[in-house]
Amino acid sequence: MGQLTSGERDLAGAVLVFMAIMGVAMAAVGGSEPLGIHGVMVLLCSVGLLFVLMSTAFGPAPDPARLGKYYDDPIKVGVGFTLAWAVFGMLIGVWAAAQLAWPALNFDTSWASFGRIRPAHTSGVIFGFGGNALITTSYHVVQRTSRARLADQFSPWFVLLGFNLFCLIAVSGYFLGVTQSKEYAEAEWYADIWLVVVWVAYFVLYVRTLARRKEPHIYVANWYYMAFIIVVAILHIVNNLAVPISFTQAKSYTIWAGVQDSMVQWWYGHNAVAFFLTAGFLAMLYYYLPKRAERPIFSYRLSILSFWGITFFYMWAGSHHLHYTALPHWVQNLGMTFSVMLLVPSWASAGNALLTLNGAWHKVRDDATLRFMMMAAFFYGLSTFEGSFLAIRPVNSLSHYTDWTVGHVHAGALGWVAMITFGSLYTLVPSIWKRERMYSAALVEVHFWLALVGTLIYVFAMWNSGIIQGLMWRTYSEDNALVYSFVDSLVAMYPYYIARAFGGLLFLIGAIVASYNVWMTVRTPNPAPSPTGDDLPIGEHAGAIPSAAE
Amino acid sequence: MEFTHDTLVEASKTWGLFYLIGFSICVLIYTFLPSNKKRFEGAEREIFDKEDAPWK
Amino acid sequence: MTDTPHRKLERSATGFMLAIVAAASVGGLVEIAPLFTIDDTVENVKDMRLYTPLELAGRDIYVREGCYACHSQMIRTLRDDVERYGPYSLAVESKYDHPMLWGSKRTGPDLARIGGKYSDFWHVAHLSNPRDVVPESNMPSYRWLATTPLKLSNLPLMLKAQRTVGVPYTDEMIANASADARGQSAPDSEQSAGVSERYGEATQVSAFDGVATNVTEMDALVAYLQVLGQLTKAAYENTAAPEKMPDPNN
Ligand code: HEM
Ligand code: HEM
Repeated sequence: MGQLTSGERDLAGAVLVFMAIMGVAMAAVGGSEPLGIHGVMVLLCSVGLLFVLMSTAFGPAPDPARLGKYYDDPIKVGVGFTLAWAVFGMLIGVWAAAQLAWPALNFDTSWASFGRIRPAHTSGVIFGFGGNALITTSYHVVQRTSRARLADQFSPWFVLLGFNLFCLIAVSGYFLGVTQSKEYAEAEWYADIWLVVVWVAYFVLYVRTLARRKEPHIYVANWYYMAFIIVVAILHIVNNLAVPISFTQAKSYTIWAGVQDSMVQWWYGHNAVAFFLTAGFLAMLYYYLPKRAERPIFSYRLSILSFWGITFFYMWAGSHHLHYTALPHWVQNLGMTFSVMLLVPSWASAGNALLTLNGAWHKVRDDATLRFMMMAAFFYGLSTFEGSFLAIRPVNSLSHYTDWTVGHVHAGALGWVAMITFGSLYTLVPSIWKRERMYSAALVEVHFWLALVGTLIYVFAMWNSGIIQGLMWRTYSEDNALVYSFVDSLVAMYPYYIARAFGGLLFLIGAIVASYNVWMTVRTPNPAPSPTGDDLPIGEHAGAIPSAAE
Repeated sequence: MEFTHDTLVEASKTWGLFYLIGFSICVLIYTFLPSNKKRFEGAEREIFDKEDAPWK
Repeated sequence: MTDTPHRKLERSATGFMLAIVAAASVGGLVEIAPLFTIDDTVENVKDMRLYTPLELAGRDIYVREGCYACHSQMIRTLRDDVERYGPYSLAVESKYDHPMLWGSKRTGPDLARIGGKYSDFWHVAHLSNPRDVVPESNMPSYRWLATTPLKLSNLPLMLKAQRTVGVPYTDEMIANASADARGQSAPDSEQSAGVSERYGEATQVSAFDGVATNVTEMDALVAYLQVLGQLTKAAYENTAAPEKMPDPNN
């Protein structure tokens, strides 16, 4: 924060004081209810930050030379948030997985029962881990590809810290039983309003930075980040329209009812997958993969086609979550059709990434970071294929409500989202902290294998259990009676639940290894700064880059 | 015009389809327009190009 | 090089943003907008009841505890679904559900028609420790519900907010919300008569958790479970082979 100008410090101070007052107000009206507890948390966070701010308040005015450099301080903090949420969210995931195998693991407490920690897991990994990764990398990519510094120095902090406050309120709320029950949008009305404020600031910051760009063309990664920012805003606002029972309480009721609510919810839910868990991560893929491989993307045109394909088709696909339900038939068919069509732009992206690596396989073999990204592209192809397949009505009649869905989710989440993130972080960290490379290449290698094996165990366990479950539910005897009771199918799941918890544990250990490696990279002073001061990660790049057209 | 369920469904089915086709055509034109070729080729390489500090 | 419209579009971030919005919003509009006229096509059901204050409170506890994470409330139009859980769910049946609780995962069985299938006593035993009644179950126990008093003072606020979002609660229902919750969980008390008056004869009045003297969260949750699938008979009348609805007084 040392680079804030005095005007920016004043602004930051004013915002923090205002938030502290809001915190006090929430605490006052909420009392010992969850709203009051959240008020105290808001208060503590803002006062804490005020102290940090004050400690720099009387420092010297920032060096004007800073404007000739990128603004990377928020990125550094963002990396920390990303890894902390990764470990936290996955830890809760492993705990939830273990509870399904051994139900006593909630220790008979209300806050730790499965229904409460499950949203803590999903929000922790999607918003905490995924969201921070997206914000952090977007700050990095937009500056580099625009050749412009972030538009100002206050809003990057506001967005990053404000977003983390949202995550904190949301996740702590689930433990307290504060939830709207809308999948991936469980947070209550006050947190939702706060997120809108943060998101608008994010949008404005991004557009202002793009407007300052020196490079006339907007690189395709930015398209994906923009789509992510814009569409998530639309989705979030529509899905979360709700009426609180009172402004002094956390509880609210959504304005949508029944069938309409189901469609709004899954229009949101599916596009949360598309624009939160896919678009922004494709942006990482289109920037960090070519950078790391030191090869331009295989076909830039293909990336444009797949961008518009994804942006356009995904929005129609939500109803595939509602096959054979009370949702009108034609909406279900529309969802199915577009989901199948989605395979085209999805595979175009996955193929584009893999073909970029064609001819550089020796690098993939030697460099675990690049291998992370290669595996991510592979799992992206796999999970989108699986998704399009599951969207076909008869297939969905078997898979829906079973662990097959969960297997699909984590093929995407672990294989695609988490792997591309770790690959990007291993590229970004040395570059931001001006290190030649990560502290330990061997640990990256260890992480890669933990992640890959963990994902495979998880996904195979869930494929098996899901299909077995689906088949048992519909097995008939010769005299046309259902053969298995529900409990029979549950008993058959236990071995797979145990296997899944083990696979998840490996993945979690991998994330811890990554955090340690990043920590040590930051702490170990750089032995030899690369003389060019260039941003490229590993040396020996000179000959490898195709001569840049200037 | 009366806004019944059926008219809305009809509109979605026809108008939605035209929109889809029109949109796809625009995207295809944009992507393959010869005058855009040079720029896209430039974009492929631009991320390797002097990124170490903001340009003046 | 000349500036084609596309080139301009993409050079100016604003045009580009509008294009994203245009591309992205159409699918949602086309699919969602027609659903608001759904009343035209959905069965118009006369006997559809409202949740009583106690049931609504139970529903909120169901939401709070995340029961929807493991239990669906949507019986699909598939043979095995119907034979296992009862007639497939109709759109009207969740007409007053803010939010809907159709669910997406069956770690446990579907609950759309659980009402009347088991006794109150079974539910209390099951919620207190599922493994006492289903030894293989992996469901968490919720024993604290039986000792946590229900916050009656919130009920009028809840009904009012429900009315704001479109559920036809009357002023009288809102005014009597707390009394009705007490009445519904204390059979033969003074307050219990008003409940059936306001919410219909079919409303179940019972000491759900076995104790009539105080209203606990267990009362509310069991009352909610017992009303699932019981708000209207429509689903039983529309199917090809009419079935009997489970009898609440089993
Ligand atoms: C250590 C690794 C992980 C473990 C052990 C784990 C475990 C679990 C478990 C047990 C569930 C509940 C499944 C059920 O209800 O039957 C779940 C759900 C979910 N997890 Fe994870 N998880 C992990 C990592 C992740 C990551 C990295 C992401 C996202 C980036 C993620 C996203 C989700 C989502 C979206 C769901 C909801 C699935 C649905 O509704 O069908 N998980 N996870
Ligand atoms: C072409 C792309 C994709 C299509 C067509 C698709 C389709 C589907 C289908 C049909 C379901 C099952 C719905 C149900 O039966 O309940 C599903 C669930 C899900 N998918 Fe995908 N999928 C795609 C890609 C992805 C990717 C890349 C991810 C990344 C993480 C992902 C995450 C999820 C999640 C989180 C759910 C669980 C929703 C829930 O029930 O809570 N999907 N998807």
